[in-house]
Amino acid sequence: MPMAPNTEAIDQHLKGFVQALHAAVNRAVPHVQDDPKLVDRAIEDCKEILDVVLEGNVSEWLK
Amino acid sequence: MFTDTIELKDFEKMDPEYQDLLKRILAIQADCEIGGPHLYVEDMLPAAPTRVERLIVARTAAEEVDHYRKMARLAGELGVDLSPLLNRPNRERYVDAFRGRISTWEDYALFGFLIDRIGRYQLEEFVGGSYAPLDRILPDVLKEEEGHIDHGTNKTAELAAKGGEQKERVQKVLNYWYAKALDMFGKSQSRRSERYVHWRIKRRTNAEAREHYIREVNPLIEAMGLEVPDPTAERRFV
Repeated sequence: MPMAPNTEAIDQHLKGFVQALHAAVNRAVPHVQDDPKLVDRAIEDCKEILDVVLEGNVSEWLK
Repeated sequence: MFTDTIELKDFEKMDPEYQDLLKRILAIQADCEIGGPHLYVEDMLPAAPTRVERLIVARTAAEEVDHYRKMARLAGELGVDLSPLLNRPNRERYVDAFRGRISTWEDYALFGFLIDRIGRYQLEEFVGGSYAPLDRILPDVLKEEEGHIDHGTNKTAELAAKGGEQKERVQKVLNYWYAKALDMFGKSQSRRSERYVHWRIKRRTNAEAREHYIREVNPLIEAMGLEVPDPTAERRFV
């Protein structure tokens, strides 16, 4: 059964996005009480990453 | 009833009906997984009530994206490209519950409480099913879905416990999502649903799964001091 084109490459890109999201959240969690600016930056980072994922411009990812 | 367990290498030898049904259910599941973040990220990630809640929204979206990835990979191995689902407009989502937009915290809470719970039901259908690669990804996905459900349930209960106008708003939002939730199981008299069970892609028919869901969720609604909505109101599929 031939794989759909770019299955592996898209999978790797999505894995990277998911890891980046978890990293941003994990970076912020210990500082919820003591560093609101750091937490807000992490939330903004998550929003930027999710915007790229949900925009779904796969052809750009694969360039 | 089909009793074999299928690996990727066996897929091409399978009956065309099996191939079509498996591809279809992977596409629907992937559509629902990525449909969630499309509903709530834009409004809820920046505007959830606290920083902790915003981080929970971000983590939930990350997990849903990963669930989409896992389903899309399985479909890709079968020759089906599901990447167009990544940016499909909400109005074109397969399931009605994913066609709008979540812009209030009450909606976000109820979505977790009722709709993510159905996500768990749909995934549980595949546990021990005939397609082994799908069965193998389920434990991690189900564990994460359980977290989303718990968060939605706790937030709904907290909001309802405030009483007064807040509780009235929760009841109104509950009425909306309850009808969407029951519709998500599809038509009770569905021949396709029976074929899924025949091939052991799913464990229960639409009607059986909906009945189990009602038995689980109604007592939770009552325990929050809310009224169980009329199960026939605002329904599209019965």
